[in-house]
Amino acid sequence: MKKTALHRYLLLCMAVFCLLFTSCGQAEHTNLAGTGEPPASVTETPQNEGTSKPEVITTESPSENGKEIISIEEIPAYSGQPYVEIDGNQPKFPEKDKTKESFEQYSELDSLGRCGVAYANVGKDLMPTGKRESIGKVKPSGWHTVKYDIVEGKYLYNRCHLIGFQLTAENANEKNLITGTRYMNTKGMLPFENVVADYVEETGNHVLYRATPIFEGKNLVAKGVQMEGYSVEDEGDGICFNVFVYNVQPGIWIDYATGESREDGGNSGGGKDGKKTPAPDAGSQTGQDGADAKTEAVEIRGNKKSKIYHCPGQASYEEMADSDHLVVFRSEKEAQVAGYRKAKR
Amino acid sequence: MIVIVCLDDKKGMMFNHRRQSRDQAVTDRIQKICAGKKLWMNAYSDKLYGSLEGMEMAINVDFLSLAEIGEFSLIESESLAPFAEKIEQIIVFWWNRTYPADIYLDLDLSQWERKERYEFPGASHEKITEERYERRK
Repeated sequence: MKKTALHRYLLLCMAVFCLLFTSCGQAEHTNLAGTGEPPASVTETPQNEGTSKPEVITTESPSENGKEIISIEEIPAYSGQPYVEIDGNQPKFPEKDKTKESFEQYSELDSLGRCGVAYANVGKDLMPTGKRESIGKVKPSGWHTVKYDIVEGKYLYNRCHLIGFQLTAENANEKNLITGTRYMNTKGMLPFENVVADYVEETGNHVLYRATPIFEGKNLVAKGVQMEGYSVEDEGDGICFNVFVYNVQPGIWIDYATGESREDGGNSGGGKDGKKTPAPDAGSQTGQDGADAKTEAVEIRGNKKSKIYHCPGQASYEEMADSDHLVVFRSEKEAQVAGYRKAKR
Repeated sequence: MIVIVCLDDKKGMMFNHRRQSRDQAVTDRIQKICAGKKLWMNAYSDKLYGSLEGMEMAINVDFLSLAEIGEFSLIESESLAPFAEKIEQIIVFWWNRTYPADIYLDLDLSQWERKERYEFPGASHEKITEERYERRK
């Protein structure tokens, strides 16, 4: 339901008053980033210019909506899985937000240019109706354009939407884009966006959805993103999750303070302290033959004609991505069990 | 027993006790496949698929043990490995997307022979792939 202009004006005045004369926002932000930096306040996001999305006016910081910001100390070290469950996979959304009214909120960038909490009640009316446009002009905090042969698609960093474009149609919004590894983007965040997008499309229900980038100290690159989701109309029966997604890239060392990186050799993940972290869990699952190889190709690529498989970094690994003979395995062992042998180069 | 299962690209089925996805086009297809036959499932699946018409619906927590030759079983969370010997066919609907997962299909499909494969657009999925596997002779 749209609010009246008077209502909007009053709410806006209250928000400005709050930000100027109270310290609640600052306290929340200190928890969020652990830096003591100025607060990441929230602004109204213009949404109706040229789109069919409903106009939504918000004045409260997303971090004030009952959000208990996690600290990085609470998160287990990366151990080969792109995400880890938090609090038994139970999100914590305030009851007052569990409505059938769509909204979306994005935090102002802090003094270091970093994103804060992005929060939405995703409904069909927020989802994109047009084509996605370039986001190349946005340079999130810690951004570097850097390529490695061992990274799928070569580029280490993606401009990661906190709330995916497919959910709220926010594209080149700097308050919704962080510097994230390809691995975090495609293996960590995308699956959760997918599950929510499908659910909303199929049911027409709403999903409360919150993405919280977790920065350590004054780091410019987030250590990861907390993602929460909860389907409103069926009280979480369809969608319910609370996870932390690691901003790592196997085989690449990352300095989270600056975004600098280097190839780390072997299969270690990145870390500011230089500690080696495990390679992605190889698991034992094999997907459909040739299934969406371009977005799911971190694992082992087999050639079903030659019965040879290629590992990341090997000579023909990238070429196999477009091969008609591609078979994707989750581990070398799985490839071997299927009768494949490893490429020599 | 003929198994019907929906899978993501990693052979995932569920996450946090919830199915990964759904699509009306798949529901319609299951209804067509099982028309006139018996379809087994658990109580969780019954909530979404229990209204299918034109077949004999059977809901039971132990349905994999109870399903007989020629009868269909809709799998969303069960381990199939203990029942591998009684499976005649596996019908897989691939979502062609990746979702979070903590329960996966525990059968190695490479040990089965793919007999049919075709693609169709879903209601909310761009492309769904249906495959039918039979035990290798």
